[in-house]
Amino acid sequence: MKHLTSPKLTPGVHCLNIRHKGMFVTSGPDPDEFAFYDKYDSTAYWCVETSRGFGPDGAPVRPDCCSGERDCCKH
Amino acid sequence: MKAFSYVNPSSEKEAVAALKTDGIAMVIGGGQDLLARMKDYIDSPDRLVNVKGLDATMTSTPDGGMKIGSAVKIIDLFEHAQVAKLYPSVNAAAIEVGTPQIRNQGTVGGNVNQRPRCWYFRNEEFVCFKKGGSRCFAVNGENQYHAIFGNEGPSHIVHPSSLAVPFMAYGAKFRVLGPNGEREIAAADYFTMPTLQNVLKENVLDDEDILTHVILPAPGIVKSGHYEVRYKASHDWPLAFSTVVLTMSGNTISSARVVLGAVAPIPWRSKAAEAFLAGKPLNEATAAAAGEAAVSEAKPMSGNAYKVQIAKTAVKRAIMNAAGLNTV
Amino acid sequence: MANKYSWPEKPALLGTSVKRLDGPDKVTGRAKYTYDINRPGMLYGKMVRSPLPHARVVSIDLSAAEKAPGVKAVLAHVAVGAQVMYQGDPVAAVAADTEERALDAARMIRVRYEALPHFANVEQAMATDAPAVFPGGNTRQGATEETGDLVAGFAKAAHIVEATYATHVITHVCLETHGCVCEWDGDKLTAWISTQAVIQSAQQFAQALGIPQANVHTIMQYMGGGFGSKFGPDSQGIICAKLAKLAKAPVKLMLDRKEEHLDTGNRPSATAHIRAGITADGMLTAFDGQSWGTGGAGATSGFPLPYIYNFPTRKRTHKDVYINAGQQRAMRAPGHPQGCFLTEILMDELADTIKMDPVAFRVKNLPPAAPNAMWAEYFARGAKAFGWDKRHATGDPTPGPIKTGMGVSAHRWGGAGQGSQAHVDIMSDGGIVVKCGTQDIGTGTRTIVGMVAAETFGLPLSAIKVEIGDSLLPFSGGSGGSTTAASAMPAIRVTSVDALEALFAKVAPALGTAPENLVAEGGRIFIKGTPAKGLSWKDACKLIGTEPISVNGKWAQGLSGSGTSGVQFAEASVDIETGIVRVTRILAIQDCGLIVDKLTAESQAYGGVIAAINFALFEDRILDRVTGQMVNPNMEMYLLAGMSDVPKIDIMLNNMPERGVIGIGEPPTVSTASAIANAVRNATGATIRSLPLHPHKVLAALEQEKAGGTN
Repeated sequence: MKHLTSPKLTPGVHCLNIRHKGMFVTSGPDPDEFAFYDKYDSTAYWCVETSRGFGPDGAPVRPDCCSGERDCCKH
Repeated sequence: MKAFSYVNPSSEKEAVAALKTDGIAMVIGGGQDLLARMKDYIDSPDRLVNVKGLDATMTSTPDGGMKIGSAVKIIDLFEHAQVAKLYPSVNAAAIEVGTPQIRNQGTVGGNVNQRPRCWYFRNEEFVCFKKGGSRCFAVNGENQYHAIFGNEGPSHIVHPSSLAVPFMAYGAKFRVLGPNGEREIAAADYFTMPTLQNVLKENVLDDEDILTHVILPAPGIVKSGHYEVRYKASHDWPLAFSTVVLTMSGNTISSARVVLGAVAPIPWRSKAAEAFLAGKPLNEATAAAAGEAAVSEAKPMSGNAYKVQIAKTAVKRAIMNAAGLNTV
Repeated sequence: MANKYSWPEKPALLGTSVKRLDGPDKVTGRAKYTYDINRPGMLYGKMVRSPLPHARVVSIDLSAAEKAPGVKAVLAHVAVGAQVMYQGDPVAAVAADTEERALDAARMIRVRYEALPHFANVEQAMATDAPAVFPGGNTRQGATEETGDLVAGFAKAAHIVEATYATHVITHVCLETHGCVCEWDGDKLTAWISTQAVIQSAQQFAQALGIPQANVHTIMQYMGGGFGSKFGPDSQGIICAKLAKLAKAPVKLMLDRKEEHLDTGNRPSATAHIRAGITADGMLTAFDGQSWGTGGAGATSGFPLPYIYNFPTRKRTHKDVYINAGQQRAMRAPGHPQGCFLTEILMDELADTIKMDPVAFRVKNLPPAAPNAMWAEYFARGAKAFGWDKRHATGDPTPGPIKTGMGVSAHRWGGAGQGSQAHVDIMSDGGIVVKCGTQDIGTGTRTIVGMVAAETFGLPLSAIKVEIGDSLLPFSGGSGGSTTAASAMPAIRVTSVDALEALFAKVAPALGTAPENLVAEGGRIFIKGTPAKGLSWKDACKLIGTEPISVNGKWAQGLSGSGTSGVQFAEASVDIETGIVRVTRILAIQDCGLIVDKLTAESQAYGGVIAAINFALFEDRILDRVTGQMVNPNMEMYLLAGMSDVPKIDIMLNNMPERGVIGIGEPPTVSTASAIANAVRNATGATIRSLPLHPHKVLAALEQEKAGGTN
């Protein structure tokens, strides 16, 4: 699946239900981006199962918690 | 929206009779306010009584004044030459109402009797005093557009009518027809300050009353000015505005009516500014000092002290308008 | 290296102003937006949403709604016991035979809630005694970004500015609301959906509904705005499909304006406490910023800071603060308007500490000039065109209550695309069909797809039939990140060139030459250099025969680029007796690589500037601080510029054909608000460090300035 190539998410680590806009956009690299400002994360994530920013367990959808041991996590 | 019946009376008496019902009957003019309230579930009448077919004429009265039917469209009020000549501030207020669409559909009666634009009143989640609840959410909430005068409560709305302000400044009377006949009520007595007993409405109309006419007296030897301050240049409610009507003796103001809008639960007459203006020459210094006087007794809420400055400016500039001076 | 796909050196169409090919359809109503789709036997869906900002669902009673007139399906979207996290969080839904009956029935669904503690603003969420509202914490501290020796940086500073800057939450306010029409045929779903990602919506429908993606067909021919908020079916789309399945009939579910404000995304707020240093000759030395912001319930709020200008030593921390409000979504240049505002107001304050012209000061502290970093040139060109030499120092010295000032600001964006595929058919009657699974979200994509093909075939735009906005078409990405043009145009070019080559192969023998000697220009195919030796397009296509030329192609390197820069100038007047700001002029200088259609590119800049005037002056999502409910979920008290509020806007596009196509949808909306705020500062001498520039803030800043300064 194309979205699993997203640099923010790693196949086998992150839940298959996590989504963000960048997964659906075929953007090209912007190699100079960080010559003009430092790293930041403006990404809005959602769960494709609940269609909102909270997973089936009611906790927020984020790469740092939509992985591993979380009960609702799908691989 | 709740289903409702629609009555199309052919006379004002029939209209009054049609308001008698066990359910809730409401008068509909241009519908610019009421239909939105119905769609937002703020009001759910059982019966609408259409008054667009009632008197929509503007005629001269024997004493040199004018009688304006409630069903007159706001755009027609604006375009009427005699109104513009005798009551230039009515003309000035009319063209600032809403948008071209609203002015083409909305009526004089509807403008005078429209309900508050308070965002707590207009959202059904907030069951405030005006919807039969037991609090005014503006007190501890978002009150940047609420009252700076007449803040004794229980409700802190500002009266929404643009036309009511110049009507009051010109000493208008409102002709009301009810089941027991007609009566004429001075503008000053028509609008009501909120009390726990009457907080559900903003004027003296009873459930089966209709406002049929606005009667403006002959203006006399006056200069008048009108000034509105809006955040946006197009389609916005004024933050504060004012009409002044100055009775002149040469270049001296012999007496004044100063009325402010969007600052209090009723069109707000500033007795302090009126007293100050009597006997003063009409110039910029007088205008500025009258503005100060007009807000001397303002009691803003937690988030709307800025409106005091705007109200002061509106009064000053309305007077400068009356004097034919540039306002800025 | 130039190759056969390279953009033409002397284009006939590219870079010219071409009217949208669907303009007449849009203004006559022939264009069917999702809202306009009506299917036989179609029902209307309506959702029930939480009125409370945080609550536990105690019970959901669907029985009255099920019995209501015209109702065909009712469903609970959440389980009893679940928590709703913001006003507008979906709870249940209904479908009925008319829209009015659906509205009435939705109100008959009885949901009981147990109210839970909530946060209506970041102050409440950040309070030391705040209750635990969000699982895992009410705030989330991000990583610290640090470069260079900050202490040494501040030691070099002759002046230090320290202040707090902020931007507010605004919503997307798409004129066409979110929603779709869903229709099942057995286990196959067709969805007409207002989306920026037509193929990607099919994927999400399939996964959320548990059906094969091959069974989902999504269509989006026309749409009234998305701005980053329409990247899938969302809850309303999934609910619509479920209602249609339950009711065994097509269902239309379009949100109303209130739902739009509450639950279809927003731009997060941003606040930063900043300390920054400057040398006596105007070099930046150090930047130390602690920022926070809210993207609503459980969502991030990051943004770039500092923005563009070169602070040799810098440190920055950011904290996401969660409040009980609808979650943010990408909104036109996510993060950039915030970071730009916070930095650019600071820049004018820094310039004033040494009485340096803001343009000269900015130019002195820019990163090195490059094709994707053209600010120095744009500052110079813009200053000349705008009349910057007439700008007075901070504080308009002229008498009277109306003060006028000028401000300036800069921005950048990536805008690179890749990955699109396309298909071109040339028929023996001369007809051409160009297919690509991209979508026109109002930017003019349909038109520029046609233009690239028409340019390649040497034909007028009217000769091309463009098919886009359908999940059955060749793959292309969602329209976000300003990537559409840079992703799709190369694919159209490559595929059209290959199709033309195939046609040349058929035509060459008839003209007694080799295919490589042929060109297509002006509606003819002829031998290069001798236009008389050739055929009209129509006659040439007669040689194709019954089997059309049918070519697939995809995006290739070298036809698109990455990185755009822009500078904007603003002039504003301020009535210091009322606090009312009027923007009088905007100049937007913008590059976007190779300009495809000058008219639609300019249109993107106009739209971006107008949206940013709204951000600067008017829009504000206002939540009641006590109840957490939105007080202005409409277009009456949620203010948007009307005609009279829109100033004279001049657009200067810098055509850079050698860089290939780069997207322009987002960058023009980034720097307008900060340029306006700087113009207000220049007019009044008072600094307003937060948006919107509401009269209450303008008057307060003036008052403070009178009392000794807004520092």
